[in-house]
Amino acid sequence: MGRGVSRSLTLPAATHAGWATQRERGSLGGMRLMARLALRLGWGAVHWLLYPVTAYFLLFSPAPQRAAARRYLARALGRAPARRDLFRLYFTFASTILDRVFLLSGRLRGYEIRVSGLEAVQSRVDAREGCILLGAHLGSFEVLRALAASGCPVEVRALMYEDNAAQANAFFNAIAPGVAAMVIPLGRPDTMLRAKECLERGGLIGILADRAPHGERTVPVPLLGAPAALPVGPHLLASVLGAPVVLAFGLWTGPRRYEIRFESFSERIRLDRADRAAGLAASVGHYAARVEALCREHPYNWFNFYDFWQELDPPCAPADATS
Amino acid sequence: MSTTVDLEAEVAKLIVESLHLEVQPAEIAPDAPLFGEGLGLDSIDALEIALAISRRYGFQLRSDDERNHRIFASLRSLAAHIEQHRTR
Repeated sequence: MGRGVSRSLTLPAATHAGWATQRERGSLGGMRLMARLALRLGWGAVHWLLYPVTAYFLLFSPAPQRAAARRYLARALGRAPARRDLFRLYFTFASTILDRVFLLSGRLRGYEIRVSGLEAVQSRVDAREGCILLGAHLGSFEVLRALAASGCPVEVRALMYEDNAAQANAFFNAIAPGVAAMVIPLGRPDTMLRAKECLERGGLIGILADRAPHGERTVPVPLLGAPAALPVGPHLLASVLGAPVVLAFGLWTGPRRYEIRFESFSERIRLDRADRAAGLAASVGHYAARVEALCREHPYNWFNFYDFWQELDPPCAPADATS
Repeated sequence: MSTTVDLEAEVAKLIVESLHLEVQPAEIAPDAPLFGEGLGLDSIDALEIALAISRRYGFQLRSDDERNHRIFASLRSLAAHIEQHRTR
């Protein structure tokens, strides 16, 4: 029996590299200045800048990025998106970037962060069991970091690529020392050994499980009406380590308003040795179904501003995956 | 020398079995890179190999070992590390 999940179904790296550079350019100009101002003057003095910054994003972001955002909105809203919808999407994105400054530096005054489903994680933490938190580029992951920083008794780590948004991270690390130490960099031989050891110490490992930017193995699963190639890695990791999985999303619900939502996902992802691929696809599909439900509920929180469904540049996928 | 070669063959078999690879153990060149280019393994594969090694040879590979890049560089370097540290 082969590995089953085809390595040829991975996303074209160029698309993602494009996304990475686009985002860096877009956010670092105006947003950096805004963040510096925000730190000096406070949220109240600078939040109105979100309107011109959003307008700037909309006017000057590359056309393919806006087109991709429109196609996403059409799927999530179930109708043709109006200009207003596109504005709300970009506005939400800009808001979460501004909020990062406050969330990461622990200045939570004026913020209202509701947490639901905490018991799903609390029980693991209390038992020092360790668990994997799966998120997505949906809302703000920083709000989860903020929650972790405000009194989580166990170690919390994030698995992510260091090279992506490295510059932005350097900037935010200056604001919030210690954030860099939270990251376990992906793509090294011992990355997953470090993750394993963290879990063994009863820690939590956060992974954004909706992108495979460096040619990782993916599997096409239905998401908002069309197959999307989502990475199998996070699910495979959970299965190999026998770790419980909890979904975690930090949804922006209004100015300085967030809802952190935890949901039990699996006690243990069991993969039949003979048919690992099917088991993995089922788990990834289950994750996609939850992401889809949240996209419908909070459509303006989706921050994958690129050809996520590969509608423009379809990969050489099996016929059943693209139909 | 022959024990090293035997161990390399044994580790190659362990890798192929634990990762369900479609190649034959003998097809893994001892000096070829295991990760990225070459066999094209990723860090989850490394984890599975590490778990399989600890089950078979009775010692743990740790993340704080600075030699990990070298240890996981090739079949030969991995086998050499196992030879040094195995407890069974």
